[in-house]
Formats: sequence, structure tokens, C-alpha cells
Amino acid sequence: VRSMDLRHLLFTLALICANDSLSASDDILQRPQISKCRSPEMETFSCFWTAGNFYNLTVPRILQLLYKKSNEEDWKECPDYITSGRNSCYFNASYTSVWTPYCVQLASKKEVYDKKCFSVDEIVLPDPPVHLNWTLLNTSQTGIHGDIQVRWDPPPTADVRKGWITLEYELQYKEVNETKWNELKPRLSTMAPLYSLKTARDYEIRIRSRQRTSEKFGEFSEILYVSFSQIGIGCDHCTEEVEFPWFLVVVFGVCGLAVTVISIMLSKQPRLKMLIFPPVPVPKIKGIDPDLLKKGKLDEVNSILACHDSYKAQLYCDDLWVEFIELDIEDPEEKNRASDTDRLLSEDDLKSHSCLGTKDDDSGRASCCEPDIPETDFSASDTCDATSDSDQFKKATEKEEDLLCLERQDNDESLPDLASTDPQHQHRNTESENSGVWAPFEDSVESPHLSVHTQISNQNSLTSTDFYAQVSDITPAGRVVLSPGQKSKLGRAQREGCTEQNFTMDNTYFCEADVKKCIAVTSQEENEPRVQEQGYNEDGYFTTESLTTTVANLGAPTAAAPSSEMPVADYTSIHIVQSPQGLVLNATALPVPDKEFNVSCGYVSTDQLNKIMP
Amino acid sequence: MSTKGASLKGLLLVALLVSHMLLTKEGVTSLPICPKGSVSCQLSLEELFDRAVKLSHYIHFLSSEIFNEFDERYAQGRGFIAKAVNSCHTASLTTPEDKEQAQQIHHEDLLNLILGVLRSWNDPLIHLASEVQRIKEAPETILWKAVEIEEQNKRLLEGMEKIVGRVHSGVVENDIYTPWDGLPSLQLADEDSRLFAFYNLLHCLRRDSHKIDNYLKVLKCRLIHDNNC
Repeated sequence: VRSMDLRHLLFTLALICANDSLSASDDILQRPQISKCRSPEMETFSCFWTAGNFYNLTVPRILQLLYKKSNEEDWKECPDYITSGRNSCYFNASYTSVWTPYCVQLASKKEVYDKKCFSVDEIVLPDPPVHLNWTLLNTSQTGIHGDIQVRWDPPPTADVRKGWITLEYELQYKEVNETKWNELKPRLSTMAPLYSLKTARDYEIRIRSRQRTSEKFGEFSEILYVSFSQIGIGCDHCTEEVEFPWFLVVVFGVCGLAVTVISIMLSKQPRLKMLIFPPVPVPKIKGIDPDLLKKGKLDEVNSILACHDSYKAQLYCDDLWVEFIELDIEDPEEKNRASDTDRLLSEDDLKSHSCLGTKDDDSGRASCCEPDIPETDFSASDTCDATSDSDQFKKATEKEEDLLCLERQDNDESLPDLASTDPQHQHRNTESENSGVWAPFEDSVESPHLSVHTQISNQNSLTSTDFYAQVSDITPAGRVVLSPGQKSKLGRAQREGCTEQNFTMDNTYFCEADVKKCIAVTSQEENEPRVQEQGYNEDGYFTTESLTTTVANLGAPTAAAPSSEMPVADYTSIHIVQSPQGLVLNATALPVPDKEFNVSCGYVSTDQLNKIMP
Repeated sequence: MSTKGASLKGLLLVALLVSHMLLTKEGVTSLPICPKGSVSCQLSLEELFDRAVKLSHYIHFLSSEIFNEFDERYAQGRGFIAKAVNSCHTASLTTPEDKEQAQQIHHEDLLNLILGVLRSWNDPLIHLASEVQRIKEAPETILWKAVEIEEQNKRLLEGMEKIVGRVHSGVVENDIYTPWDGLPSLQLADEDSRLFAFYNLLHCLRRDSHKIDNYLKVLKCRLIHDNNC
């Protein structure tokens, strides 16, 4: 073991020594190689090489540089080893042909170490410019900055005057303390201005040149020192120019902007505010007050939703209806106008279809509950508005459900409240041609006509909705014609109609359906005497007087049981409208004398309204 | 100080104008802008030389660039530099090879030589522009430069002919010309050989354009500025 250790030790020592000895001399054997060939003026050129470390190790070898022009066969030796310094070869003008390819090789007697081929025009690297000087152009008013003009001469070797070589110059300058040089663009002229130099500082300038179409620059010239104090305009005690106060600018800018924004927000000018801060649309369902949803009672909420989901709004939105609302009571000429009725009747299908057909639809029909709907619009819009009186609202809601083209289930809730049902009560089928405004009716439970509810319940299968009187038409005189709807057209009225008609004699309006049934039956036989009804028969117009008479004529036997056949309207709830021509009854709000307002179809003529109204 | 400088400048200007007048032996030598196609308008010789030098410099610049690009793109892996024989087709024309020779040659002869070189390059440049497009995946810059060089060479030729017409006192010798037979080499099937042919041609182009640029500058300094550029 000991011997082993000793051997190891000796071995390592030997290695270390060997390493040391080896590192003492150059580690890497460097071949002699040509470092560069250069022509300063395109008239002569020189080649330089490195000898490498061959010399030291072995017998000193003599390196030769051989050259050959492309059109020659033999390698010639370098004509001048001295002029360019050690390890160089200088070719003077007589040996230089500018655009002729040369090859040079570095060789000893035995071997060639390096070879290069080039042409003289490719290796032009001019000498640096000489005679740098500067002159002051001007100074700034404050004396802090100054402009100078730097001049120089081209390198003396380059024959620029005869145009043999064209040189480009690049000027670099910097403050004495700086490390990075600023460069100017290469220029052909031998002068360059430098602007905005700080007079308090000293500068260094250096210039280098290159042949105009080359890429490589020659060496830098000697450094030129610029010191303004030397010529007596140095401003040592000048204050440093304040840099642009970016910080202040930013701060003030932000403050100004904030002030502007705040002033806009607080300003009373809504337009300006809208312009700059357009209101962000909040998700909103028209006709539903979100506050009410949050805080309202269940009934109210139900009413809102019912109203929202109702088709009533859509019906109310019907253009025809809107037209009819705005009629002039005073104008007798419009009395017999048939066009409206025709229109109404002819389009009944469409309307009712639209009403019923889409009863399950979730589309936003509540968009109809818009404030821009004429105020003569019936309770639809008003009940949608949560601001209505809660009491009347409450009652209205109960009734409204009935009025609307609602689902069965919606109506069913209110049904038990209503009067006794007469199975034979026909109730309006909104699938009938009549559509129009469905006004809620006052629930005069006493009257048997409210058995329309029962009708509905009985005849749910037939119709999808309502037992409300449907306004089928409005006379030019301002009277509302109600139509019970499908029932009348189903033809059931033909036999039963008159006898089962449920007319309230003292009612102002009669539902068209009711009358129609009777008239339809009887009109065929007795058209003539009933001139009035005929007119109405065709057009669907009824006046209360005529209806009354008709009913009186027709319904003597049937008067007994008006309620059973009253297909329309359980109640009317009409809101007061502002327009004197509008028809808005609010049964709950008005002190309604029973008789007078025992409306089957539920509409009160404006005359009657005026009587009632204070 | 400033007024002095101004007056000095004015004097210099006047002196230059006078000397220029005497030199060119023409009247007032303003530099008219000759609209194209006008017959009566005459540019001064100085203006002609100025334009010629600008063109020759531009051509040389483009030739350098196109050679460098070609070298970078195609020649590096192929060792073309070592193979470069550099036998340009214009080598038969004896052109001055150094400053001495350029100083000694008569300006008319030099002009003729310049014209000869330019004419000799007319044909190769046309073919270069068309053949370089057949190189596989030739960069757009090379293609564009080849076309541009060919165009500018034509313009320089026209300008030189004008100058020669002005300068020559005697009969104009028009026989300096070297034909070019390198087209087959540009169309070789072997890609390496073909690219080497291009490399050679572009190398020769760079050299010859440098020659012409130099000669024109020498002539300009000699004729216009009296060896005092």
C-alpha cells in the first residue's frame, strides 16, 4: 500500500511538472498566417502576416511572401519586406495593378502556410484624415449652448484632387466624460457642423474615412479636443438647463383631466353629460319596475308578471285599436263609417290569432307597455305601471288576468272568485276574428253575466282565453262596441242566441256577440224593421240605444236569463283617461251606480262617463 | 464679421463663375433643365459629367450589392472564391491599371475606352437580367438589381455618347468592343457550374463598374475642375 501511494504521488508530481513546463511555452502551435492586405490609396498595397510560434520551437524558418498576378505563371517574391514594418510586404506603385487579381502566399522553403487572393480595389482602407480643427459658429442667447464647425483635410496619401479615389468621412464626438461616441452620417465634404454643444463641457472629436463604395472604414484620426473655455466663452457657472418637467406636466395634466371629468359629471347640462358619459343601458324589462319586483307584494308582482306576459299589450298595440281610440265624438259624419269596422272585423282573425297563438311565447310583448302608447290606451299600460293605486291595482289585476289572452292556469285562479257559472255561457274565444282591446270588466258579481268566467272554465277547450268583453269596434260617435268573440261566429248563437242572450237592459253597451247572435237569427227574417241593427249587423256597430232596443225587441224572452248567455265581459275596469274622448273606466275608482254600470261588455259611453264623472 | 464673410463668399462665387466660363468656352453657364425630347436645349459639359458620374457610381453601388448578396446566398458553401479565375470578357481591352496610366492616357482615348466597356456590357447585362430569374428561389432583391443595372447601363451609354460627341474634335472611333460569349455558361444544366458562371459574371461586373466609375471621376476632375476636385 505504501508503495502504491508513493507511485501515485510521484506520478501526479510528474504530471504537474510537465504541465508547468508545457505552459511556460505557448500552448498552441500557431501557424504563420497572413493577417491582412491593405491599400491606403489604391496605388500601393501591403500585406501583413503573423509569424506564429514556429520560430521558437525549431530552427528559425524564413518566411517568404510570394505573389502572383492572375495572368502570370510564376510566383515571385515580395519586393519590399521593410517599408511596412516587420512581417510585412510592401508593393509600390510599379508593382500594383489596381483591377488585376493577385494571389499571395506565405511560405517557407518547405511548405506553404497561407494563401490569399484579392484585387487591389477590394482592399482599399484609407488613412485617417489629418489637420482637424474647429471654429465657433455661434452660441445660444443664454450662452449655454454653442455650434461649431469642424474641418479637416483628407489623408495625404489619398489623391482626391485628381479624382483617383473618392473618400467618405465619418465624424464621431462625445463629451470627455462619456463613454459612448455619437456618430454623424458619412459625408463627402471635409467639414461638418456640430450643433448644440454645451459650452460648459469639453468634447472629443475623431474622424475616419473609407472609399466611397466600400464598407470598411480606415483607422481613426487623432482626437480633437474642443473646449469652449479656451476661447473665452465657457460658461462654467451657468445653471444647468432644466430638463423638461415631465413630472409636472403629467401631474397637471392628470389633475386638469380629473377636474374636467368631475365638472362634466356634476354639470346640469344633460346633453353634455350624455355626450361624454352615455348612459349605460341597464338590463331592464319594459313594463316591469325592478323595485316593485324586489319589494312589492306577491299580488302585485303577479300582476306585473301577468301584465308583462300578457298579450293584452300586444293587442293594445294594435294599430287599428290605436286608431279607434282617437275619435272625435262630436263628429256625426263619422258615425256611419264602416271602414273601421270592416277593418276590424276582417282582421280579427289575425289579431286573435296573434293573441292566442303566441300565448306561450316568451317574446317581449311587454314592449308594448311603453309610455309612448297613447294614453287613451286602456288599462294595459296603466296596470303595467306600478305606480297605479294599489287598491285599484289589486282589483284590476284580478280582472286583468281574465281579460288577457292568458293561459288556462292563469285564469283558473281567478275563476273561483266569480259568480255562478252557467254552462251555457259562451265566452269569447279570442281565436275569433275579433281582437281589439280587451278591457277588464268590473266584476259585478251580482250580475249573472259574470258567468263568463264559468263559460271560460267550461269552454277552455274551445278557447284558450278569456271571458272578457272584447271591444270589436268603436263607433265614430265614440261608443265602443264589444264583441264576445268566437262564440258569435261559431254559429252557436243561431238557435240559442237570442233566447239565451244575456243583455243588461240598462247597460250602455252590449256586446256585439250577444246582439249578433240575436240578430243573426232574427235578422234573416226580420231585417227590414231593424234598419239600425242591419247596419250594425254588417258593420258590427252598435250603439247602446240601438242595442238596448234591439235587445228589448229580441230579448224579451231572453231577458230573463241574460246572464246565461252573456258571453262577454265579466267586468269592466276602465281607467280614466285624460282625453275627453277616451274611454277609460275605472270601475273601482268611480262611484258607479250599479245599474248604470252594469256593463256586460263593459264599456261605458263617454256620455255616461261624463254623467258619472264629476 | 458676417458681412465680411458674405462679401468674401460673393467674391468667390464671381471668381468661380468667371473661371468656369473661361474653362468651358461657352457663354453663361447656368444649368438649364432640359425637358425630355427637346432638341435645342443643351446641357453643359459639367452637367453631363455630373450626371454621368452619378450614374456610374450608382451602377457600381448596385453591382457591389448584387455581388455581395449572391456571394452570401449561393457562393459560401461552394468555395467559389478559391475557384475564381476572374477572366472577364473585357480583359482584352487594355484599360489603365493604375493612376499613372490613367493620368497619361488622353481623355479622348479614355472616353472611347469607357464607351467600349459600356457597350461590351450591354449584351451580358440583358442576359443576366433574364437568366438570373431562372435561378432557383432567387431573392427579389437580386432580380430587381439585375434589371436596374441593365437599365442604368443603357442610360449611361447614351450619356457617354453625348459627352463623346461634345468632347471629340475629330472622328469618333467606335470599334472598341468585346463580344460576350458567356450565355451558354449561364444556362448550364449543372447547378454548381451555372452558379459559378453567375458568380464570375457578377464579380467581373463589379470590377468593371468600378473601373468606369473611377475613370469618369478622373476625367471629370481633369476636364472640369482642372485636377482640383
